[in-house]
Amino acid sequence: MKKLSPSAFGLLAPVHVLLLGVITLPSLYVFWMSLNESSYGVAPVFVGLSNYKTVLLDSYFWRAAFNTFVVVNAVVYAEIVLGLALALLFASGLPCRKLMFAIVLMPYAVSEVVGVLAWKIIMNPNYGAIGRMLADWGMGLNWSASPTQGLVLVSVISVWHHLPFTFLLLYAGILAIPQSVYEAARIDGANAIQMFFRITLPLLIPALLITVIFRLVFAFRMFSEVWLLTKGGPARLTEVLAVYLYQGAFRNGEFGTAAATGWLMVLSSLAIASFYLYQMHRRIAVGNA
Amino acid sequence: MHKYLQLLLRGLAVALVIVWSAGPVMFIVISSFKPQLQMFAYPPSLAFVPTFEHYVALWNEWDAFFPTLKNSLIVSVGATVLAVFVSFLAGYVYSRYAGRLLAISAIYMIAIRLLPPIVVTLPLFPAVDALGLSDTHALLILLYAAFWVSLCTMIIKTFIDEIPRELDEAAHVDGASQAQTIRKVILPLALQGMAASAIFVFVFAWNEYLFALIFTTQYAKTAPLVISEVMDAIYGTNWGVLFAGVTVQLAPVVALVMFAQRLLVAGLTAGSVKG
Repeated sequence: MKKLSPSAFGLLAPVHVLLLGVITLPSLYVFWMSLNESSYGVAPVFVGLSNYKTVLLDSYFWRAAFNTFVVVNAVVYAEIVLGLALALLFASGLPCRKLMFAIVLMPYAVSEVVGVLAWKIIMNPNYGAIGRMLADWGMGLNWSASPTQGLVLVSVISVWHHLPFTFLLLYAGILAIPQSVYEAARIDGANAIQMFFRITLPLLIPALLITVIFRLVFAFRMFSEVWLLTKGGPARLTEVLAVYLYQGAFRNGEFGTAAATGWLMVLSSLAIASFYLYQMHRRIAVGNA
Repeated sequence: MHKYLQLLLRGLAVALVIVWSAGPVMFIVISSFKPQLQMFAYPPSLAFVPTFEHYVALWNEWDAFFPTLKNSLIVSVGATVLAVFVSFLAGYVYSRYAGRLLAISAIYMIAIRLLPPIVVTLPLFPAVDALGLSDTHALLILLYAAFWVSLCTMIIKTFIDEIPRELDEAAHVDGASQAQTIRKVILPLALQGMAASAIFVFVFAWNEYLFALIFTTQYAKTAPLVISEVMDAIYGTNWGVLFAGVTVQLAPVVALVMFAQRLLVAGLTAGSVKG
Protein backbone atom coordinates (compact mmCIF):
# COMPACT_ATOMS: atom_id res chain seq x y z
CA MET A 1 0.00 0.00 0.00
CA LYS A 2 1.36 3.37 -1.01
CA LYS A 3 0.72 6.82 0.45
CA LEU A 4 -1.21 9.19 -1.77
CA SER A 5 1.09 10.99 -4.21
CA PRO A 6 0.46 13.88 -6.64
CA SER A 7 0.13 11.43 -9.52
CA ALA A 8 -2.52 9.49 -7.56
CA PHE A 9 -4.48 12.70 -7.08
CA GLY A 10 -4.30 13.22 -10.83
CA LEU A 11 -5.79 9.80 -11.44
CA LEU A 12 -8.57 10.43 -8.94
CA ALA A 13 -9.38 13.87 -10.29
CA PRO A 14 -11.70 13.00 -13.22
CA VAL A 15 -14.06 10.90 -11.08
CA HIS A 16 -14.18 13.44 -8.31
CA VAL A 17 -14.60 16.43 -10.61
CA LEU A 18 -17.55 14.65 -12.22
CA LEU A 19 -19.10 13.80 -8.85
CA LEU A 20 -18.56 17.30 -7.46
CA GLY A 21 -19.83 19.11 -10.52
CA VAL A 22 -22.88 16.98 -11.24
CA ILE A 23 -23.98 15.66 -7.86
CA THR A 24 -22.29 17.06 -4.75
CA LEU A 25 -22.25 20.81 -5.42
CA PRO A 26 -25.73 20.84 -7.03
CA SER A 27 -27.15 18.83 -4.09
CA LEU A 28 -25.71 21.33 -1.63
CA TYR A 29 -26.71 24.29 -3.75
CA VAL A 30 -30.30 23.04 -3.58
CA PHE A 31 -30.28 24.12 0.05
CA TRP A 32 -29.43 27.68 -0.94
CA MET A 33 -32.10 27.56 -3.69
CA SER A 34 -34.64 26.47 -1.08
CA LEU A 35 -34.06 29.74 0.78
CA ASN A 36 -34.89 31.74 -2.35
CA GLU A 37 -37.90 32.21 -4.51
CA SER A 38 -37.32 31.91 -8.25
CA SER A 39 -38.99 31.04 -11.51
CA TYR A 40 -37.09 28.14 -13.13
CA GLY A 41 -34.06 29.07 -11.04
CA VAL A 42 -33.72 32.53 -12.60
CA ALA A 43 -33.64 35.87 -10.69
CA PRO A 44 -33.76 34.44 -7.15
CA VAL A 45 -35.08 36.52 -4.25
CA PHE A 46 -34.06 35.57 -0.72
CA VAL A 47 -37.08 34.55 1.36
CA GLY A 48 -35.57 32.65 4.30
CA LEU A 49 -37.47 29.59 5.42
CA SER A 50 -40.80 30.56 3.92
CA ASN A 51 -40.55 27.92 1.16
CA TYR A 52 -40.38 25.23 3.83
CA LYS A 53 -43.44 26.71 5.46
CA THR A 54 -45.29 26.65 2.15
CA VAL A 55 -44.31 23.04 1.48
CA LEU A 56 -45.03 21.77 4.98
CA LEU A 57 -48.46 23.44 4.98
CA ASP A 58 -49.35 22.01 1.56
CA SER A 59 -51.72 19.07 1.87
CA TYR A 60 -50.53 17.72 -1.52
CA PHE A 61 -47.02 17.44 -0.10
CA TRP A 62 -48.29 15.34 2.79
CA ARG A 63 -50.37 13.22 0.45
CA ALA A 64 -47.25 12.65 -1.69
CA ALA A 65 -45.17 11.84 1.40
CA PHE A 66 -47.80 9.40 2.60
CA ASN A 67 -48.05 7.73 -0.83
CA THR A 68 -44.26 7.45 -0.99
CA PHE A 69 -44.12 5.87 2.45
CA VAL A 70 -46.83 3.30 1.67
CA VAL A 71 -45.64 2.44 -1.84
CA VAL A 72 -41.95 2.22 -0.91
CA ASN A 73 -42.65 -0.12 2.01
CA ALA A 74 -45.09 -2.27 0.06
CA VAL A 75 -42.68 -2.55 -2.88
CA VAL A 76 -39.55 -3.29 -0.86
CA TYR A 77 -41.07 -5.91 1.43
CA ALA A 78 -42.93 -7.59 -1.43
CA GLU A 79 -39.63 -7.74 -3.30
CA ILE A 80 -37.82 -9.22 -0.31
CA VAL A 81 -40.40 -12.00 0.10
CA LEU A 82 -40.58 -12.78 -3.62
CA GLY A 83 -36.84 -12.40 -4.10
CA LEU A 84 -36.15 -14.76 -1.20
CA ALA A 85 -38.60 -17.34 -2.56
CA LEU A 86 -37.00 -17.07 -5.98
CA ALA A 87 -33.50 -17.37 -4.55
CA LEU A 88 -34.51 -20.50 -2.61
CA LEU A 89 -36.03 -21.98 -5.76
CA PHE A 90 -32.76 -21.39 -7.62
CA ALA A 91 -30.62 -22.63 -4.73
CA SER A 92 -32.57 -25.90 -4.58
CA GLY A 93 -31.54 -26.69 -8.16
CA LEU A 94 -33.46 -25.95 -11.35
CA PRO A 95 -33.48 -27.45 -14.83
CA CYS A 96 -31.96 -25.09 -17.47
CA ARG A 97 -30.60 -22.92 -14.67
CA LYS A 98 -28.75 -20.53 -16.99
CA LEU A 99 -31.76 -19.93 -19.20
CA MET A 100 -34.02 -19.43 -16.17
CA PHE A 101 -31.52 -16.97 -14.76
CA ALA A 102 -31.53 -15.01 -18.00
CA ILE A 103 -35.35 -14.95 -18.02
CA VAL A 104 -35.49 -13.69 -14.45
CA LEU A 105 -33.09 -10.84 -15.36
CA MET A 106 -35.26 -9.67 -18.27
CA PRO A 107 -37.20 -6.89 -16.49
CA TYR A 108 -33.90 -5.33 -15.40
CA ALA A 109 -32.97 -4.84 -19.05
CA VAL A 110 -36.02 -2.89 -20.18
CA SER A 111 -36.80 0.79 -19.76
CA GLU A 112 -39.37 1.92 -17.20
CA VAL A 113 -41.20 3.37 -20.17
CA VAL A 114 -41.48 -0.07 -21.75
CA GLY A 115 -42.46 -1.71 -18.45
CA VAL A 116 -45.27 0.77 -17.88
CA LEU A 117 -46.45 0.43 -21.48
CA ALA A 118 -46.60 -3.37 -21.25
CA TRP A 119 -48.41 -3.43 -17.91
CA LYS A 120 -50.80 -0.68 -18.98
CA ILE A 121 -51.97 -2.79 -21.90
CA ILE A 122 -52.04 -6.11 -20.06
CA MET A 123 -54.18 -4.55 -17.32
CA ASN A 124 -56.50 -2.65 -19.65
CA PRO A 125 -60.08 -3.72 -18.82
CA ASN A 126 -61.18 -3.66 -22.48
CA TYR A 127 -58.44 -5.54 -24.28
CA GLY A 128 -55.70 -6.53 -21.83
CA ALA A 129 -55.10 -10.21 -21.09
CA ILE A 130 -55.35 -9.80 -17.31
CA GLY A 131 -57.47 -6.64 -17.22
CA ARG A 132 -60.21 -8.24 -19.30
CA MET A 133 -60.17 -11.35 -17.14
CA LEU A 134 -60.51 -9.23 -14.00
CA ALA A 135 -63.32 -7.27 -15.66
CA ASP A 136 -65.14 -10.53 -16.47
CA TRP A 137 -64.93 -11.39 -12.78
CA GLY A 138 -66.47 -8.04 -11.92
CA MET A 139 -63.22 -6.27 -10.98
CA GLY A 140 -62.81 -3.90 -13.91
CA LEU A 141 -59.76 -1.71 -13.28
CA ASN A 142 -59.95 2.02 -13.78
CA TRP A 143 -56.78 3.56 -12.41
CA SER A 144 -57.44 6.97 -13.96
CA ALA A 145 -60.37 7.29 -11.52
CA SER A 146 -59.17 5.31 -8.51
CA PRO A 147 -55.99 6.47 -6.75
CA THR A 148 -55.76 3.20 -4.83
CA GLN A 149 -55.78 1.14 -8.02
CA GLY A 150 -53.24 3.52 -9.55
CA LEU A 151 -50.86 3.10 -6.63
CA VAL A 152 -51.32 -0.67 -6.51
CA LEU A 153 -50.49 -0.93 -10.20
CA VAL A 154 -47.50 1.38 -9.73
CA SER A 155 -46.29 -0.92 -6.95
CA VAL A 156 -46.75 -4.05 -9.08
CA ILE A 157 -44.78 -2.51 -11.96
CA SER A 158 -42.07 -1.36 -9.59
CA VAL A 159 -41.74 -4.81 -7.99
CA TRP A 160 -41.61 -6.33 -11.46
CA HIS A 161 -38.79 -4.00 -12.49
CA HIS A 162 -36.59 -4.36 -9.45
CA LEU A 163 -37.13 -7.97 -8.45
CA PRO A 164 -34.09 -9.11 -10.50
CA PHE A 165 -31.82 -6.84 -8.46
CA THR A 166 -33.29 -7.94 -5.12
CA PHE A 167 -33.12 -11.56 -6.20
CA LEU A 168 -29.46 -11.30 -7.25
CA LEU A 169 -28.38 -9.80 -3.93
CA LEU A 170 -30.26 -12.42 -1.89
CA TYR A 171 -29.17 -15.29 -4.12
CA ALA A 172 -25.53 -14.26 -3.69
CA GLY A 173 -26.17 -14.25 0.07
CA ILE A 174 -27.61 -17.76 0.03
CA LEU A 175 -24.77 -19.13 -2.10
CA ALA A 176 -22.30 -17.74 0.44
CA ILE A 177 -23.68 -20.00 3.18
CA PRO A 178 -21.32 -23.00 3.45
CA GLN A 179 -22.87 -26.32 2.41
CA SER A 180 -21.21 -28.10 5.34
CA VAL A 181 -23.64 -26.41 7.74
CA TYR A 182 -26.57 -27.98 5.90
CA GLU A 183 -24.86 -31.37 5.81
CA ALA A 184 -24.32 -31.29 9.53
CA ALA A 185 -27.97 -30.35 10.08
CA ARG A 186 -29.10 -33.17 7.79
CA ILE A 187 -27.08 -35.68 9.75
CA ASP A 188 -28.72 -34.39 12.90
CA GLY A 189 -32.08 -35.12 11.28
CA ALA A 190 -33.28 -31.58 10.54
CA ASN A 191 -36.01 -31.20 7.92
CA ALA A 192 -36.22 -28.56 5.19
CA ILE A 193 -38.39 -26.15 7.20
CA GLN A 194 -36.12 -26.36 10.25
CA MET A 195 -33.06 -25.80 8.06
CA PHE A 196 -34.65 -22.70 6.54
CA PHE A 197 -35.57 -21.10 9.87
CA ARG A 198 -32.53 -22.25 11.85
CA ILE A 199 -29.79 -21.90 9.22
CA THR A 200 -30.68 -20.02 6.04
CA LEU A 201 -32.65 -17.18 7.58
CA PRO A 202 -30.28 -16.32 10.48
CA LEU A 203 -27.19 -16.50 8.27
CA LEU A 204 -28.89 -14.40 5.63
CA ILE A 205 -29.68 -11.48 7.98
CA PRO A 206 -26.71 -9.30 6.87
CA ALA A 207 -27.55 -9.76 3.17
CA LEU A 208 -31.23 -9.10 3.91
CA LEU A 209 -30.40 -5.87 5.75
CA ILE A 210 -28.22 -4.55 2.94
CA THR A 211 -30.84 -5.43 0.37
CA VAL A 212 -33.65 -3.77 2.33
CA ILE A 213 -31.72 -0.55 2.81
CA PHE A 214 -30.51 -0.44 -0.77
CA ARG A 215 -34.00 -0.95 -2.07
CA LEU A 216 -35.55 1.54 0.38
CA VAL A 217 -33.14 4.22 -0.76
CA PHE A 218 -33.65 3.49 -4.44
CA ALA A 219 -37.43 3.04 -4.23
CA PHE A 220 -37.66 6.38 -2.42
CA ARG A 221 -36.69 8.22 -5.62
CA MET A 222 -39.48 6.56 -7.62
CA PHE A 223 -40.65 8.82 -10.41
CA SER A 224 -41.07 7.25 -13.84
CA GLU A 225 -43.59 4.55 -12.99
CA VAL A 226 -45.97 7.06 -11.43
CA TRP A 227 -45.44 9.81 -13.96
CA LEU A 228 -45.90 7.50 -16.92
CA LEU A 229 -48.91 5.66 -15.52
CA THR A 230 -51.02 8.32 -13.81
CA LYS A 231 -49.19 11.67 -14.11
CA GLY A 232 -49.97 11.86 -10.38
CA GLY A 233 -53.73 11.95 -10.99
CA PRO A 234 -56.62 11.79 -10.44
CA ALA A 235 -56.58 15.16 -8.67
CA ARG A 236 -52.91 14.76 -7.62
CA LEU A 237 -53.88 11.85 -5.37
CA THR A 238 -51.25 9.37 -6.65
CA GLU A 239 -48.26 11.73 -6.52
CA VAL A 240 -45.09 10.52 -4.83
CA LEU A 241 -42.43 12.98 -3.61
CA ALA A 242 -40.39 13.01 -6.82
CA VAL A 243 -43.54 13.63 -8.87
CA TYR A 244 -44.62 16.38 -6.45
CA LEU A 245 -41.21 18.01 -6.91
CA TYR A 246 -41.35 17.66 -10.70
CA GLN A 247 -44.85 19.17 -10.87
CA GLY A 248 -43.85 22.14 -8.77
CA ALA A 249 -40.57 22.77 -10.56
CA PHE A 250 -41.09 21.93 -14.20
CA ARG A 251 -44.84 22.45 -14.61
CA ASN A 252 -45.33 25.47 -12.37
CA GLY A 253 -41.80 26.88 -12.46
CA GLU A 254 -41.71 27.26 -8.67
CA PHE A 255 -38.07 26.33 -8.05
CA GLY A 256 -37.96 27.66 -4.49
CA THR A 257 -40.56 25.34 -3.01
CA ALA A 258 -39.35 22.49 -5.25
CA ALA A 259 -35.85 22.99 -3.84
CA ALA A 260 -37.27 22.84 -0.31
CA THR A 261 -38.93 19.54 -1.23
CA GLY A 262 -35.66 18.38 -2.77
CA TRP A 263 -33.63 19.21 0.31
CA LEU A 264 -36.16 17.36 2.47
CA MET A 265 -35.72 14.37 0.14
CA VAL A 266 -31.94 14.54 0.44
CA LEU A 267 -32.15 14.51 4.24
CA SER A 268 -34.65 11.66 4.24
CA SER A 269 -32.57 9.45 1.95
CA LEU A 270 -29.46 10.08 4.02
CA ALA A 271 -31.43 9.19 7.15
CA ILE A 272 -32.63 5.93 5.58
CA ALA A 273 -29.13 5.18 4.34
CA SER A 274 -27.25 6.20 7.48
CA PHE A 275 -27.36 2.73 8.97
CA TYR A 276 -25.93 1.24 5.79
CA LEU A 277 -23.24 3.92 5.56
CA TYR A 278 -22.32 3.32 9.19
CA GLN A 279 -21.86 -0.38 8.46
CA MET A 280 -19.73 0.40 5.40
CA HIS A 281 -17.61 2.80 7.39
CA ARG A 282 -17.01 0.20 10.07
CA ARG A 283 -16.05 -2.43 7.53
CA ILE A 284 -13.67 -0.14 5.64
CA ALA A 285 -12.16 1.11 8.91
CA VAL A 286 -11.57 -2.50 10.01
CA GLY A 287 -10.09 -3.39 6.62
CA ASN A 288 -7.60 -0.54 6.89
CA ALA A 289 -6.51 -1.21 10.46
CA MET B 1 -47.33 -39.51 -4.18
CA HIS B 2 -45.62 -36.89 -2.05
CA LYS B 3 -42.77 -36.75 -4.51
CA TYR B 4 -45.06 -36.14 -7.49
CA LEU B 5 -46.85 -33.36 -5.65
CA GLN B 6 -43.55 -31.68 -4.92
CA LEU B 7 -42.49 -31.97 -8.55
CA LEU B 8 -45.81 -30.52 -9.67
CA LEU B 9 -45.52 -27.57 -7.29
CA ARG B 10 -41.98 -26.83 -8.46
CA GLY B 11 -43.08 -27.00 -12.08
CA LEU B 12 -45.88 -24.58 -11.30
CA ALA B 13 -43.50 -22.20 -9.57
CA VAL B 14 -41.11 -22.28 -12.52
CA ALA B 15 -43.97 -21.58 -14.94
CA LEU B 16 -45.12 -18.66 -12.80
CA VAL B 17 -41.62 -17.21 -12.72
CA ILE B 18 -41.35 -17.41 -16.50
CA VAL B 19 -44.74 -15.80 -17.12
CA TRP B 20 -44.10 -13.03 -14.58
CA SER B 21 -40.57 -12.18 -15.77
CA ALA B 22 -40.84 -12.64 -19.51
CA GLY B 23 -44.59 -12.22 -20.04
CA PRO B 24 -44.88 -8.43 -20.29
CA VAL B 25 -41.82 -8.11 -22.55
CA MET B 26 -42.75 -11.09 -24.73
CA PHE B 27 -46.27 -9.72 -25.06
CA ILE B 28 -44.94 -6.59 -26.77
CA VAL B 29 -42.42 -8.48 -28.90
CA ILE B 30 -44.96 -11.08 -30.07
CA SER B 31 -47.64 -8.46 -30.69
CA SER B 32 -45.27 -6.57 -32.97
CA PHE B 33 -45.40 -9.56 -35.34
CA LYS B 34 -49.18 -10.00 -35.17
CA PRO B 35 -51.62 -8.80 -37.82
CA GLN B 36 -53.55 -5.77 -36.57
CA LEU B 37 -56.86 -7.65 -36.13
CA GLN B 38 -55.41 -10.35 -33.90
CA MET B 39 -53.28 -8.06 -31.78
CA PHE B 40 -55.82 -7.56 -29.01
CA ALA B 41 -57.90 -10.70 -29.54
CA TYR B 42 -59.30 -12.15 -26.31
CA PRO B 43 -58.31 -14.64 -25.11
CA PRO B 44 -54.79 -13.91 -26.42
CA SER B 45 -53.53 -16.54 -28.83
CA LEU B 46 -50.20 -17.64 -30.24
CA ALA B 47 -51.84 -19.03 -33.38
CA PHE B 48 -51.14 -16.36 -35.98
CA VAL B 49 -49.17 -15.90 -39.17
CA PRO B 50 -46.22 -13.64 -38.35
CA THR B 51 -46.07 -10.41 -40.32
CA PHE B 52 -43.43 -7.73 -40.75
CA GLU B 53 -45.96 -5.07 -41.76
CA HIS B 54 -45.47 -3.09 -38.55
CA TYR B 55 -41.72 -2.99 -39.05
CA VAL B 56 -42.21 -1.76 -42.61
CA ALA B 57 -44.60 0.89 -41.29
CA LEU B 58 -42.12 1.80 -38.56
CA TRP B 59 -39.43 2.40 -41.15
CA ASN B 60 -41.71 4.31 -43.53
CA GLU B 61 -43.99 6.26 -41.22
CA TRP B 62 -42.44 6.95 -37.84
CA ASP B 63 -39.78 9.45 -38.88
CA ALA B 64 -39.04 10.59 -35.36
CA PHE B 65 -38.06 7.17 -34.06
CA PHE B 66 -34.72 6.31 -35.65
CA PRO B 67 -33.00 9.63 -34.91
CA THR B 68 -33.89 9.19 -31.22
CA LEU B 69 -32.54 5.66 -31.33
CA LYS B 70 -29.31 7.07 -32.72
CA ASN B 71 -29.26 9.65 -29.90
CA SER B 72 -29.71 6.84 -27.38
CA LEU B 73 -26.79 5.00 -28.91
CA ILE B 74 -24.50 8.05 -28.90
CA VAL B 75 -25.40 8.94 -25.32
CA SER B 76 -25.12 5.37 -24.03
CA VAL B 77 -21.77 4.66 -25.68
CA GLY B 78 -20.45 8.08 -24.62
CA ALA B 79 -21.53 7.69 -21.00
CA THR B 80 -20.21 4.13 -20.82
CA VAL B 81 -16.79 5.00 -22.23
CA LEU B 82 -16.43 8.08 -20.02
CA ALA B 83 -17.61 6.39 -16.83
CA VAL B 84 -15.56 3.23 -17.29
CA PHE B 85 -12.40 5.09 -18.28
CA VAL B 86 -12.35 7.55 -15.36
CA SER B 87 -13.47 4.82 -12.96
CA PHE B 88 -10.58 2.64 -14.09
CA LEU B 89 -8.10 5.39 -13.20
CA ALA B 90 -9.73 5.98 -9.82
CA GLY B 91 -10.21 2.26 -9.18
CA TYR B 92 -6.45 1.77 -9.61
CA VAL B 93 -5.74 4.37 -6.93
CA TYR B 94 -8.36 2.96 -4.53
CA SER B 95 -6.79 -0.47 -4.98
CA ARG B 96 -3.10 0.40 -4.77
CA TYR B 97 -2.98 3.33 -2.36
CA ALA B 98 -4.08 3.61 1.26
CA GLY B 99 -4.82 6.36 3.71
CA ARG B 100 -7.51 7.99 5.78
CA LEU B 101 -8.42 10.42 3.03
CA LEU B 102 -9.05 7.59 0.59
CA ALA B 103 -11.18 5.64 3.08
CA ILE B 104 -13.31 8.70 3.80
CA SER B 105 -13.70 9.56 0.14
CA ALA B 106 -14.83 5.99 -0.57
CA ILE B 107 -17.68 6.42 1.92
CA TYR B 108 -18.48 9.80 0.42
CA MET B 109 -18.67 8.28 -3.07
CA ILE B 110 -21.18 5.69 -1.90
CA ALA B 111 -23.22 8.22 0.08
CA ILE B 112 -23.45 10.61 -2.86
CA ARG B 113 -24.84 7.85 -5.03
CA LEU B 114 -27.76 7.40 -2.66
CA LEU B 115 -29.18 10.89 -3.26
CA PRO B 116 -32.33 11.12 -5.40
CA PRO B 117 -31.24 12.18 -8.91
CA ILE B 118 -34.24 14.47 -9.40
CA VAL B 119 -32.83 16.83 -6.76
CA VAL B 120 -29.81 17.83 -8.87
CA THR B 121 -32.02 18.76 -11.81
CA LEU B 122 -33.10 21.93 -9.97
CA PRO B 123 -29.72 23.70 -9.82
CA LEU B 124 -28.55 22.14 -13.07
CA PHE B 125 -31.54 23.37 -15.07
CA PRO B 126 -30.61 27.09 -15.12
CA ALA B 127 -26.87 26.31 -15.10
CA VAL B 128 -27.10 24.07 -18.13
CA ASP B 129 -29.06 26.71 -19.97
CA ALA B 130 -26.44 29.34 -19.22
CA LEU B 131 -23.67 27.03 -20.45
CA GLY B 132 -25.55 26.27 -23.66
CA LEU B 133 -25.62 22.58 -22.80
CA SER B 134 -29.36 21.98 -22.72
CA ASP B 135 -30.64 19.46 -25.24
CA THR B 136 -27.14 18.17 -26.07
CA HIS B 137 -25.63 14.69 -26.08
CA ALA B 138 -22.72 15.94 -23.99
CA LEU B 139 -24.99 16.89 -21.10
CA LEU B 140 -26.69 13.49 -20.92
CA ILE B 141 -23.30 11.78 -21.19
CA LEU B 142 -21.96 13.78 -18.23
CA LEU B 143 -25.09 13.19 -16.14
CA TYR B 144 -25.28 9.46 -16.77
CA ALA B 145 -21.57 8.95 -16.24
CA ALA B 146 -21.58 10.94 -12.98
CA PHE B 147 -24.30 8.78 -11.48
CA TRP B 148 -22.35 5.60 -12.21
CA VAL B 149 -18.70 6.41 -11.50
CA SER B 150 -19.09 5.51 -7.82
CA LEU B 151 -20.27 1.99 -8.46
CA CYS B 152 -17.91 1.49 -11.43
CA THR B 153 -14.92 2.63 -9.37
CA MET B 154 -15.78 0.16 -6.60
CA ILE B 155 -16.34 -2.69 -9.06
CA ILE B 156 -13.08 -2.05 -10.92
CA LYS B 157 -11.20 -1.59 -7.64
CA THR B 158 -12.37 -5.04 -6.49
CA PHE B 159 -11.14 -6.57 -9.74
CA ILE B 160 -7.78 -4.76 -9.56
CA ASP B 161 -7.41 -6.00 -5.96
CA GLU B 162 -7.17 -9.50 -7.44
CA ILE B 163 -4.13 -8.59 -9.54
CA PRO B 164 -1.01 -9.52 -7.54
CA ARG B 165 1.02 -6.50 -6.45
CA GLU B 166 4.18 -8.39 -7.41
CA LEU B 167 3.32 -7.65 -11.06
CA ASP B 168 3.37 -3.88 -10.39
CA GLU B 169 6.68 -4.21 -8.56
CA ALA B 170 8.22 -6.35 -11.30
CA ALA B 171 7.25 -3.74 -13.89
CA HIS B 172 8.72 -1.04 -11.68
CA VAL B 173 12.00 -2.95 -11.32
CA ASP B 174 12.13 -3.35 -15.10
CA GLY B 175 12.02 0.44 -15.35
CA ALA B 176 8.38 0.95 -16.34
CA SER B 177 6.85 4.28 -15.41
CA GLN B 178 3.56 4.37 -13.47
CA ALA B 179 1.66 5.25 -16.65
CA GLN B 180 3.24 2.28 -18.44
CA THR B 181 2.44 -0.06 -15.56
CA ILE B 182 -1.18 1.04 -15.59
CA ARG B 183 -1.49 0.67 -19.36
CA LYS B 184 0.49 -2.52 -19.90
CA VAL B 185 0.00 -4.46 -16.66
CA ILE B 186 -3.17 -3.35 -14.91
CA LEU B 187 -5.43 -2.47 -17.83
CA PRO B 188 -5.34 -5.86 -19.61
CA LEU B 189 -6.06 -7.67 -16.34
CA ALA B 190 -8.86 -5.32 -15.30
CA LEU B 191 -10.83 -5.72 -18.51
CA GLN B 192 -13.37 -8.07 -16.96
CA GLY B 193 -14.23 -5.59 -14.24
CA MET B 194 -14.44 -2.83 -16.80
CA ALA B 195 -16.79 -4.91 -18.93
CA ALA B 196 -19.01 -5.63 -15.94
CA SER B 197 -19.17 -1.92 -15.11
CA ALA B 198 -19.82 -1.05 -18.73
CA ILE B 199 -22.95 -3.20 -18.79
CA PHE B 200 -24.48 -1.36 -15.84
CA VAL B 201 -23.85 2.07 -17.32
CA PHE B 202 -24.97 1.09 -20.80
CA VAL B 203 -28.23 -0.49 -19.66
CA PHE B 204 -28.99 2.52 -17.46
CA ALA B 205 -28.20 5.12 -20.12
CA TRP B 206 -30.05 3.24 -22.84
CA ASN B 207 -33.24 3.09 -20.78
CA GLU B 208 -33.09 6.31 -18.74
CA TYR B 209 -36.20 8.48 -18.70
CA LEU B 210 -36.09 11.23 -16.04
CA PHE B 211 -33.05 13.25 -17.15
CA ALA B 212 -33.99 12.84 -20.80
CA LEU B 213 -37.46 14.19 -20.00
CA ILE B 214 -36.11 17.25 -18.21
CA PHE B 215 -33.05 18.11 -20.26
CA THR B 216 -33.87 17.22 -23.85
CA THR B 217 -36.50 18.70 -26.11
CA GLN B 218 -35.50 17.97 -29.68
CA TYR B 219 -31.92 17.36 -30.82
CA ALA B 220 -30.78 14.98 -28.10
CA LYS B 221 -34.14 13.33 -27.39
CA THR B 222 -33.67 9.64 -26.61
CA ALA B 223 -35.75 6.63 -27.65
CA PRO B 224 -37.51 5.99 -24.28
CA LEU B 225 -38.71 9.59 -24.29
CA VAL B 226 -40.22 9.45 -27.77
CA ILE B 227 -41.80 6.07 -26.96
CA SER B 228 -43.44 7.58 -23.87
CA GLU B 229 -44.79 10.50 -25.89
CA VAL B 230 -46.32 8.26 -28.54
CA MET B 231 -47.71 5.93 -25.90
CA ASP B 232 -49.75 8.77 -24.39
CA ALA B 233 -51.10 10.03 -27.70
CA ILE B 234 -51.80 6.78 -29.49
CA TYR B 235 -55.00 5.78 -31.23
CA GLY B 236 -56.31 2.92 -33.40
CA THR B 237 -53.96 1.22 -35.77
CA ASN B 238 -50.70 2.71 -34.57
CA TRP B 239 -50.17 0.14 -31.83
CA GLY B 240 -48.36 -2.21 -34.18
CA VAL B 241 -45.86 0.47 -35.14
CA LEU B 242 -45.28 1.37 -31.49
CA PHE B 243 -44.72 -2.29 -30.57
CA ALA B 244 -42.28 -2.68 -33.45
CA GLY B 245 -40.37 0.40 -32.27
CA VAL B 246 -40.30 -0.81 -28.68
CA THR B 247 -39.05 -4.22 -29.80
CA VAL B 248 -36.21 -2.61 -31.73
CA GLN B 249 -35.38 -0.51 -28.66
CA LEU B 250 -35.39 -3.33 -26.11
CA ALA B 251 -34.07 -6.33 -28.04
CA PRO B 252 -30.33 -5.52 -28.09
CA VAL B 253 -30.13 -4.67 -24.39
CA VAL B 254 -32.28 -7.60 -23.26
CA ALA B 255 -29.99 -9.88 -25.29
CA LEU B 256 -26.90 -8.21 -23.80
CA VAL B 257 -28.12 -8.72 -20.23
CA MET B 258 -29.17 -12.31 -20.86
CA PHE B 259 -25.83 -13.26 -22.39
CA ALA B 260 -23.68 -11.33 -19.96
CA GLN B 261 -25.35 -12.64 -16.80
CA ARG B 262 -22.10 -13.91 -15.35
CA LEU B 263 -20.40 -10.52 -15.69
CA LEU B 264 -23.44 -8.82 -14.24
CA VAL B 265 -23.46 -11.01 -11.16
CA ALA B 266 -19.70 -10.58 -10.72
CA GLY B 267 -20.07 -6.81 -10.98
CA LEU B 268 -22.98 -6.67 -8.58
CA THR B 269 -21.27 -8.71 -5.90
CA ALA B 270 -18.06 -6.73 -6.34
CA GLY B 271 -19.81 -3.37 -6.29
CA SER B 272 -22.60 -3.44 -3.77
CA VAL B 273 -22.04 -6.26 -1.34
CA LYS B 274 -18.35 -5.96 -0.75
CA GLY B 275 -18.52 -2.17 -1.13
